[in-house]
Amino acid sequence: MKQILIAGAVASTALVATVGAASAQACNDADRVPITWSTIAGFYTDAMAKLVSGFEAKNCVKVNVVNIDNSQLYNKQVIEMVGQTGAYDVVTLETSEKAEFAENGFILPMTDYFADKKAQLDDVAPTLAALTTQYKGDVWGLPYYTYTAGYIYRADLFDDPTEQAAFKAKYGYDLAVPTTWAQHRDIAEFFTRKKGDKLKGEELTKDFYGVGLMAGPFPEIQDEMSGVLWSQGADWLTDDGKVPVDAVEKAMDDYLKLVKFAPPAALTVTYDGVMNQMKDGQIAQTYSFFLDQWPNAVTTEQSVPGARMGVAEAPEKKAYIGGFLLAVSASSTHPKEAMDFVAYIGGHDAQMEFAKAGGTSTLMSVLSDPQFATPESRAKTGHFATLLKIFDDMKGFRSNLFDTPFGAKIYNTMQIPLQAAAAGQITARQAAEQLASDVEKICGGPCPIGK
Amino acid sequence: MSQSMSIPASQTRRPATMSAGMSDRWFSILLITPAMVVILVFALLPLAYALDVSFRFADLTRGRLGDFVGLDNYRIVLADEAFWKSVGVTLQFTVSAVVLEMVLGIAIAFLINGATAGKGIIRSLMVLPLATSAAVTGLFWRYLYDTQFGLINYFLGLLHLPQPNWLGDYTIALWSVVLFDVWQWTPFVALIALAGLQALPKEPFEAAELDGASTFRVLRTLTFPMLKPVLFLVLVLRTIDSVRLYDAVAVLTRGGPGTTTESMTFYLYRTGLKLFRMDYASTMAVFFLYAMLVASLFALAPLLKQFSTRASEG
Repeated sequence: MKQILIAGAVASTALVATVGAASAQACNDADRVPITWSTIAGFYTDAMAKLVSGFEAKNCVKVNVVNIDNSQLYNKQVIEMVGQTGAYDVVTLETSEKAEFAENGFILPMTDYFADKKAQLDDVAPTLAALTTQYKGDVWGLPYYTYTAGYIYRADLFDDPTEQAAFKAKYGYDLAVPTTWAQHRDIAEFFTRKKGDKLKGEELTKDFYGVGLMAGPFPEIQDEMSGVLWSQGADWLTDDGKVPVDAVEKAMDDYLKLVKFAPPAALTVTYDGVMNQMKDGQIAQTYSFFLDQWPNAVTTEQSVPGARMGVAEAPEKKAYIGGFLLAVSASSTHPKEAMDFVAYIGGHDAQMEFAKAGGTSTLMSVLSDPQFATPESRAKTGHFATLLKIFDDMKGFRSNLFDTPFGAKIYNTMQIPLQAAAAGQITARQAAEQLASDVEKICGGPCPIGK
Repeated sequence: MSQSMSIPASQTRRPATMSAGMSDRWFSILLITPAMVVILVFALLPLAYALDVSFRFADLTRGRLGDFVGLDNYRIVLADEAFWKSVGVTLQFTVSAVVLEMVLGIAIAFLINGATAGKGIIRSLMVLPLATSAAVTGLFWRYLYDTQFGLINYFLGLLHLPQPNWLGDYTIALWSVVLFDVWQWTPFVALIALAGLQALPKEPFEAAELDGASTFRVLRTLTFPMLKPVLFLVLVLRTIDSVRLYDAVAVLTRGGPGTTTESMTFYLYRTGLKLFRMDYASTMAVFFLYAMLVASLFALAPLLKQFSTRASEG
């Protein structure tokens, strides 16, 4: 009986596949429904092109991919949405942009679309789904890529007996992956050394630093500070829609204590600069850092002799949760096809392909797939297990920054006072107060929060 | 010659194919119409629109143009500390960059003018920074300035000199932008000054030499007074261009660290295209245009007067 059932299932699958293939083959290029996807240039562009081809093979749709530089993506998408030009059917949103696009009617809710696809929706890591897809009780799309933060470090340094002994002698506890931000600071201080000093018993030919920071004039400075702020039990915005000045000042103070243990270039770089520092053998660890960079970080093992990379949860088990949300433009002339595309790219099959190409999937079924936990796939997916732990530890977490319709504007502004403080131009207190003032100006008073 | 002189003026101005019924006045209007249409569509209409927006509430993300708010936007912008800070940055940049460019450019022009060989090659090399956009050369300079991998710090290190954080240290970041601008635009000043020098008549200088005038006296009483119109024009052009500073900031520092290098135009861009407050951005643009118009009128008045005097003499 069981064999009959299996045979039946196989036959049905084959039939469905044949019909699907036939329908795709029957579709002439002229008949294809055109949809346009605006997305980030350089983020797995090749892998995305392959996924798009997969979608086109199964649907009578032609997907035009518009690759836009990350710094310009938000501006361009807003302009097209306000003008209701229909230029983009599917848009790519940063976590802080979701509420603004939803609140202003720029994107369509997909709650009804997913009503009969609950299993697919439930497969998205719940923590990520809560922050990236939900707003005011509706579902606004699917995240297809996560840049959730964790901790990346030089495991070879942590395992070195000489370094372990020296650390224990200086700080009175064992050198290990930090579980508190105070330990993280100690480690940063410990590994900061001058040219000529010894590291792992060998003389350094250049200065070595305890931590890599993304303190340049980019939004990433607030991403790496988010985990620290959240681990204090605070948020960028209180439930009253105001910036908690004292909490931000404390997080900023902690950050400033680390700046002296980071390469001077920290004040001009973002994540790619930190990765270059790691691969150049300049730093021992990151701060709260995007784990999607793991495939990049692990190449340090080739560029620095004797290096071995490790990945773990950020101290205090709180880190920035972020993902690129795919949503359907309200001015799309083909919303049904656009929603099908979102469901496909955020779906299991495409996400499996994406993960194989080195992308960081958003689905629990992919992150926990045994094939990505093997030693052979460590270079591409060695961070998946850590991501699962982060999502589990942060279950139920929400940030008001992602639930205010002014989130994107705040996100695009907050880097200025934070970076000014990191560079020493103003104090931590002044940065927190300036942020509070800027945010109040942006929202025209306390910011509305719409969960 | 005598034949051409005898042709009536009306015939020399009017093409043979032109309708005999069209007056000179209408023909002139016809000739300038295309240019006027272009100016109307691409300059005056946007300006009128910006003026309109500057008197309304216009948060682009909250929909289209909002209600009329009178002078509220002007009041807010003029009370905005960040705006005045960006004005300060712009003025600091403009004065520093233009002074350096003028001094270095004129000095280089004199050196080239006095050179006996290789003038052509030097002139060609000097065109290179001008021939590339600031966005491209800015990227190139960003790598030169890089504290980790940059060539400038590499050479400073070889000489055991301090290796500054060119774009990350808030005390020197603006000077790094000035240095970049000086590198790019000094050749422009030098080339124009050189052309002016080479066009000077030889006779007054020969007479001064016969009279035994010192080099300084020749420079003070002959060279600079005769070069003045050219140098003044370059000064005005460079000042206007420097006040519009955007590309170099966008590529090199993005206004940072903090707001240390945030120029007026960069702040305007951030307000308009990051915060989408088109009302404030338009108000700043109107203010910027007004300031530039007034400054240009004052600066160009002597030149315009000189041109009109020459025209009337001609």
